[in-house]
Amino acid sequence: MSGRLFIQTLRWQRVRLAVVVLAGIAWGALLPVIYNAFSEVIRDLANSGAFPEEMLNIGSGSLFTLPGTITLGLQHPLALAMLGIFAVGGSSTAIAGERARGTLEVLLARPVSRVSLYLSILAALLLTVAIVLSAILGGMVGSATVTGLASELDLGPMPIVFLNGFGLWAAFTTFGLAMSVTFDRPGPAIGLSLAWLLIHYFVEILGSLWTDAAWAQAYSLLHHFNPGEILTGELDPLDLVIVYAAAIVPLIYALLVFPKRDLAAPA
Amino acid sequence: MEGTPPAPVISIRALTKHYGSVEALTDLTLEVNQGEIYGFLGPNGAGKSTAIRTLLGYLHATRGTASVLGMDIATESVEIRRLTGYLPGGIALYDSLSGEQVLDYLVDMQGRQPHRRAELCERLELPTSVLKRKVRDYSRGMRQKIGVVQALQHDPELAILDEPTEGLDPLMQHAFYSILDDLRREGRTVFFSSHVLSEVERLCDRVAIIRAGRLMAIHDVGELLARRRRRVTVRWRGAAPDPASLPGLEDVQVDGNRIIGMLSGEVAGFVRSIASPNLDDLIIEPASLEEAFLEYYASEEPGQ
Repeated sequence: MSGRLFIQTLRWQRVRLAVVVLAGIAWGALLPVIYNAFSEVIRDLANSGAFPEEMLNIGSGSLFTLPGTITLGLQHPLALAMLGIFAVGGSSTAIAGERARGTLEVLLARPVSRVSLYLSILAALLLTVAIVLSAILGGMVGSATVTGLASELDLGPMPIVFLNGFGLWAAFTTFGLAMSVTFDRPGPAIGLSLAWLLIHYFVEILGSLWTDAAWAQAYSLLHHFNPGEILTGELDPLDLVIVYAAAIVPLIYALLVFPKRDLAAPA
Repeated sequence: MEGTPPAPVISIRALTKHYGSVEALTDLTLEVNQGEIYGFLGPNGAGKSTAIRTLLGYLHATRGTASVLGMDIATESVEIRRLTGYLPGGIALYDSLSGEQVLDYLVDMQGRQPHRRAELCERLELPTSVLKRKVRDYSRGMRQKIGVVQALQHDPELAILDEPTEGLDPLMQHAFYSILDDLRREGRTVFFSSHVLSEVERLCDRVAIIRAGRLMAIHDVGELLARRRRRVTVRWRGAAPDPASLPGLEDVQVDGNRIIGMLSGEVAGFVRSIASPNLDDLIIEPASLEEAFLEYYASEEPGQ
């Protein structure tokens, strides 16, 4: 791995990262506040039967409990966007973008192997994902403490929540990078990586809203990250296995394919 | 007793690169020796960049072998690039960085000290004020100059330059030529591709001519220039003599009192043969590599 390339990749992302970290902290902090303000109302609404309970959920999360709110917050499109900026946008453009701009030429003129280049960029992107995830979780925990909800939250399993969430977004990151090493232009790489994320999101939401399709949720990677269950001691270890396996498969693909690719002169 | 000649810096044996049915490069064989400036000449699309990119590991050879600095291109590409400086054709740089940051970044990645940077920047007229500006504000020529500096700043054992003077103004081209002259004096090896014949003529010890992916000829530039035909125009006061009496003159056209033709062979014999009180004017145009090059391309098919 090239330390210089790792650092430079982080530098490219630093402004974006700073903005997203602030947004992540704010979003994380907002969730316990929303829970505090609306959980009773939502519960009454569910009890009234006016709305089916499924309609009051987002994916596997809900506002009925604080852990459920945390799940909701991490499956919400805003969280997906914040993490996806790096896991999908950053990864899919990382190598294909350098290739399209022609700067990959100059980079690969240095004594750095393609495997090393790939691993350096991957490590930097995974670090950004970890930072954003930490910011969101940190915002949640901090806000829960400030709003007096700490008693509803067992912080013991929080490292597992982080590990599970990191594995999930690592899977999207390695998929994006796999696309990035496959294509010469960032367009197809971004398109396929985004489609991959949206398919998982669609399946997760569809299954949560329509009980007949609930079986399909097991095929969504997002379904295998449920902080609410982890925080209430209901961790399914298979969830960890699935998300990390989903991260490793594209990684192996990229390590096999990228070194063998012909990199013709950019147009 | 003579010692063993040093191993060639670049040794290419039957290097072939096909993209499906497209033959980008076929059976290229050549050697570049230590301290040589070697020109790789051919029109656009001839396969020059394909050959260079295969040497540096961007492309994988369909068949054939090559070594650079004694190392196999298939298995020791990283080490080759550590000792090599490469200027890609139409270089792209990081627009959001300054020229100085680009050079710092690339030399850091190279893992060597930028021993030559200050000297190169001075000769290519890249003062600190320019280097502090963002690359996005650079003209094409400025980018090319940064490209030359990044390729040579770490004082590589071998420089591989793909059309290095593209975008440089004539003044900077001459500055670049003098940099290469110095590299030659220091025993460095330079392998560069070009379709600009005059610079090959000006710089190179040897030249390989490539066309449609196939090597057509390898020449010592000095020999090529010496054996080339020269364009001759002779004018007499009064009637021109019989062209058959002029030794070495071919493709003759007689226009009144003027004879125009191509002279091959010795100039002295020809001048003696036309010496007469009636000789009014004599023009022997300086030999140019371009004519020899065009003669090759006109008369020979690839592989012949």
